[in-house]
Amino acid sequence: MNFLLTILSQTGRNLLQTWGSQLLNLITISLSVLIFSFFLLTYTNMIQAGKQLGDDLRLIAYLDEEPSPALQKEYKRKILKFDAVKKIAFVSRKEAFERFKQELGTDRDVLADMPEDFLPPSIEVYPRRSLHSLTRIKAFSDYLLTMPGVLKVQYGRQWIERFYSFVRLMRIVVILSGSLLILTSTFMIARTIRLTLLSRQRELELLRLCGASSAYIRAPYFLEGALQGLLGAALGLAALYVLYTWITLQFSGSALFSFFPFTFFPLPVIAIIVALSTLFCAGGSFSSTRKILQV
Amino acid sequence: MQKNSNEVMVELIKVRKFYPPDVKALKDVSLSVAKGELLFLTGLSGAGKTTLLRLLYRVERPDRGLVEIDGMDVTRLSGKKLQILRRRIGIVYQDFKLLPKQSVARNIALPMEITGRKKSFIRKRTRDLLERLGLKDKINAKAGDLSRGEQQRVAVARSLCNNPDLILADEPTGNLDAENSDRVMELFNEHRDQGATILIATHDSRIYGLGRHRVVVLANGHIIGAGIKRNPAPDNGDCHQ
Ligand SMILES: Nc1ncnc2c1ncn2[C@@H]1O[C@H](COP(=O)(O)OP(=O)(O)OP(=O)(O)O)[C@@H](O)[C@H]1O
Ligand SMILES: [Mg+2]
Repeated sequence: MNFLLTILSQTGRNLLQTWGSQLLNLITISLSVLIFSFFLLTYTNMIQAGKQLGDDLRLIAYLDEEPSPALQKEYKRKILKFDAVKKIAFVSRKEAFERFKQELGTDRDVLADMPEDFLPPSIEVYPRRSLHSLTRIKAFSDYLLTMPGVLKVQYGRQWIERFYSFVRLMRIVVILSGSLLILTSTFMIARTIRLTLLSRQRELELLRLCGASSAYIRAPYFLEGALQGLLGAALGLAALYVLYTWITLQFSGSALFSFFPFTFFPLPVIAIIVALSTLFCAGGSFSSTRKILQV
Repeated sequence: MQKNSNEVMVELIKVRKFYPPDVKALKDVSLSVAKGELLFLTGLSGAGKTTLLRLLYRVERPDRGLVEIDGMDVTRLSGKKLQILRRRIGIVYQDFKLLPKQSVARNIALPMEITGRKKSFIRKRTRDLLERLGLKDKINAKAGDLSRGEQQRVAVARSLCNNPDLILADEPTGNLDAENSDRVMELFNEHRDQGATILIATHDSRIYGLGRHRVVVLANGHIIGAGIKRNPAPDNGDCHQ
């Protein structure tokens, strides 16, 4: 109890005496947490959006002519041979025309002179979740092309490919910024504490001569690091939350957000970020005290 | 002193300490101090007094010989055991080793915090010691702002705060007037009456000249004389045996 009180008051004294560099540390840590968690938030939301995209994903195989019911059965059998799918739908020329008309809305007049059968019939294949990796979809598309009567297969390839390569890029950015966060915060903490220790050689020597245990000497610095990490992460995440709220407010009316709901981190993720930051900062201080306090 | 005279607190046997390149600070010094004894170490500047004390609180190790405190070989102690031993030793350093930016109270509290004393005990003990040393009104002053003599008394108070079993005082009255030297010696004697063993390194014949105790004279790293003082002595020449 007394031990704890002494450690706490020593930590308080340390913080007061070096508040300038402490503040600088805090800002650095908050900023690194902010940057890292911003990327992480973008990444997780994109993964989420990707899942939604997958729900709407379908492959459209355009046919040279309207398939008879017997042929439809044959197509179905062939498609199912490749993989189980969620749904297969046949779209006749007429249906395609109606749909197109619907999509045009008020501009439908342009179709007035067109014959109703100018659009090709098609098969719409809705793949299952397991298919959602891009290479699988490509393979499926290639397979559909081999079926007789199929002219062309479409799945919004370019768009999806871009999306997935962006997700891959984001993953790298998250990993990089995470490592950077760890490096900067441990380095900053270790540096400040090393400077503090150097300026306190006399006091530390005296503590040792009075028989202080190394836990007694190190604990305040350990606590200082942990506190920095905790506060820094909390501030960084708070800043991110403010940013998040601002962004959602800015885009609240837009269509983008109704398609892809942009959500903040769930509580466990917040807890993990804070815990990791605390851990690394405490670790930084721990390692720097070990080097200096050897006697 | 009679009661515990068979129990040895400090034992040095053929202790040698040389510093590079060729400083022979201590040459085969043997000395035995009983529990509860008050012993003065004296001798010219550079004779090796501080070196001897530094061997005892283990910031130096001897090149040769045995250094024992309360039956423990100090040279071999480390970690927990060394920490526990150090908590039983009160030291007045020749250079005081006060923390200049911290208050007097905090300087004195430091060893008591290490031994886990209660806040109330620390406050009371600090006040009592400062009162006894005539520094009552300096309790909240910064240690660095005090005069040398005041700092020396703070150093004495800090060495005594934990009621140590062994007190090592290096020139504890070097900057003090007669009245304050007496205050310091009175405190030391009280602790000795309570069973503490005390080694005082000093040039100050005023403090070793009074009372009944051994005086050991060092010169060039040798013990050249030891004797028991009984009467007030006019100068140092008297204590050789
Ligand atoms: N770390 C060191 N390195 C080299 N020489 C040292 C060291 N410490 C002490 N000495 C030398 O050892 C000798 C004994 O020094 P010591 O400090 O023990 O003397 P002292 O008796 O305490 O003197 P004083 O009365 O002036 O305090 C001196 O010649 C000193 O210069
Ligand atoms: Mg000396």
